Amino acid sequence: MPRCREGMFEKILIANRGEIALRIIRACKELGIRTVAVYSEADVHSMHVRQADEAICIGPAQSAKSYLNIAAIISAAEIADVEAIHPGYGFLAENAHFAEICESCGIRFIGPRPENIRLMGNKVEALTTVKKAGIAILPGSEGVVSDRDRALTVAKRIGYPVMIKAVAGGGGRGMRIAHNDVSLANAFLTAQAESEAGFGDPAVYIEKRIEQPRHVEVQILADAHGHVIHLNERDCSIQRRHQKLIEESPSPRLSPRIRAKMGRAAVRVAEAIGYVSAGTVEFLLNRDGYFYFLEMNTRIQVEHPVTEIVTQVDIVKEQIRIAQGKALKLQQSKVGLFGHAIECRINAEDWERDFAPCAGRVTAYSAPGGPGVRVDSHVYAGYEIPSYYDSMVGKVICVGHTRESAISRMRRALDEYIIEGVKTTIPLHRLILSDPRFRKGKYYTDFVDDLIEVQKKKKA
Amino acid sequence: MNIKEIKDIVTLMNENEINEFVIEREGFKLSIRRGPQFEKGPAITQVAVPGAPAVSSPPPSPPPTVGSREPESAFIVSPMVGTFYSAASSDSPPFVAVGQEVDEETVVCIIEAMKVMNEIKAERKGKILEALVENGEAVEFGKKLFRMSGG
Repeated sequence: MPRCREGMFEKILIANRGEIALRIIRACKELGIRTVAVYSEADVHSMHVRQADEAICIGPAQSAKSYLNIAAIISAAEIADVEAIHPGYGFLAENAHFAEICESCGIRFIGPRPENIRLMGNKVEALTTVKKAGIAILPGSEGVVSDRDRALTVAKRIGYPVMIKAVAGGGGRGMRIAHNDVSLANAFLTAQAESEAGFGDPAVYIEKRIEQPRHVEVQILADAHGHVIHLNERDCSIQRRHQKLIEESPSPRLSPRIRAKMGRAAVRVAEAIGYVSAGTVEFLLNRDGYFYFLEMNTRIQVEHPVTEIVTQVDIVKEQIRIAQGKALKLQQSKVGLFGHAIECRINAEDWERDFAPCAGRVTAYSAPGGPGVRVDSHVYAGYEIPSYYDSMVGKVICVGHTRESAISRMRRALDEYIIEGVKTTIPLHRLILSDPRFRKGKYYTDFVDDLIEVQKKKKA
Repeated sequence: MNIKEIKDIVTLMNENEINEFVIEREGFKLSIRRGPQFEKGPAITQVAVPGAPAVSSPPPSPPPTVGSREPESAFIVSPMVGTFYSAASSDSPPFVAVGQEVDEETVVCIIEAMKVMNEIKAERKGKILEALVENGEAVEFGKKLFRMSGG
């Protein structure tokens, strides 16, 4: 029997850990909602456990037995008698099966409907749906490519270079480039094998590879009554091996005309699939300002604070309100851009040694502060970073009136940031922020990889 | 205070799992702290299950380190999150009693999770010395259920 009442949730369980669990707890506290944290044995001293009203140990350190353990999480939700679960990002956030189980147990899943997750989780179906909605997609196979010969045919039609991507993949994982027929044959088989290993499904598809692309994504919010708005874009082109390092909003050198066009396109995608909750529509922008749909992320994203700061909208609170059945109060015409925001993702990694993760004890910790600085982190002095999960230590988000002032502020903030006992990627961020190409806004997704290569050569 | 005395204090702290020690005298103050800055947050609030009294449990002791089982402790710990039941049904006798000898295959309790009744076995030989949870109590992973001899 559904326990969820219309109106307010009284208690929410956060099915996640680290900084995002803390983020969700903060939103709940401000809404007067009681919080239940779940944690693995490795996270007993974690900040999200400390800050929640209740905490339940759900398993040993291994993610599969704890944060990915659906039975344990649902069981915890039942004994704590919560009305809703917020899945955060990663882990079970885009697991349609988990979303379905929540609903069948009378627990509201704070996120999109299971069918939204499934549809957008299948990258080929997503492309088909989006194309039908009249949004441009990259030239490609537009379907599963099941053998090498077909791959070669597609590549011949669209021209090299091409990307081979996993149908069940996403988030920059499970992708291979091929520049010619020879490398395509190999890359195709490798991509299939990696896809099987990584996502349990060997199906791959092919897309044209854009030279010097910019990765620009649009944040959308949709309520359960069919009202969809966008909160403008984030430029996430600063990446290393397809993993984002720095994000900013608005995108530098994106004209207001293209911004509006992209926003409308993102809204159209969400409307076409009857999407509910927060989501992000990713586009690739080519040098001439044309954009193509890449994929849609059916969850809240790591870089959501960038949008929160420039639009002054609390995305997590909106997710909770939407899940409670409330109509979106914010009108598209009222969505503003208040300044320029940049986020740096700080990882406990040794960037000079191929980003080797550095688990260990943080012996000294002092986060930056002052005007226009926001730090989303679960770390504290004495905290032992576990080796079982991702290595993100925190996110620094700075806002300024202009892009230049935001960059200066970020450099000031990173200079202030004290994290001792583990190596972090702060030095790499400093390098990027002082690079003239970054400061001019002239960068593309291969920018960081190039920068690192240059640094390596210098040291050699 | 000399270095040997301080070493003794640290040893005593470790042996007795004391996390903070402060001593203050005229012109002298020594403060020693083990572990992270703060203790873990509160334990789960017990949920009132029909037929069972609502019990609030004290903050649990830190769970055992990952993958290990302290050799000298003999506890049956919960392998899952759920609700503890000491008997198969409300009119059945409890599975085990204090003082009872059990072996690896003895069912000691049921933990209900998502409407599935899971029989929990002792998985070791020994005598049940103490039941640490009450019938109907919500338990988390790693929660100590029974204290046993034969460790």
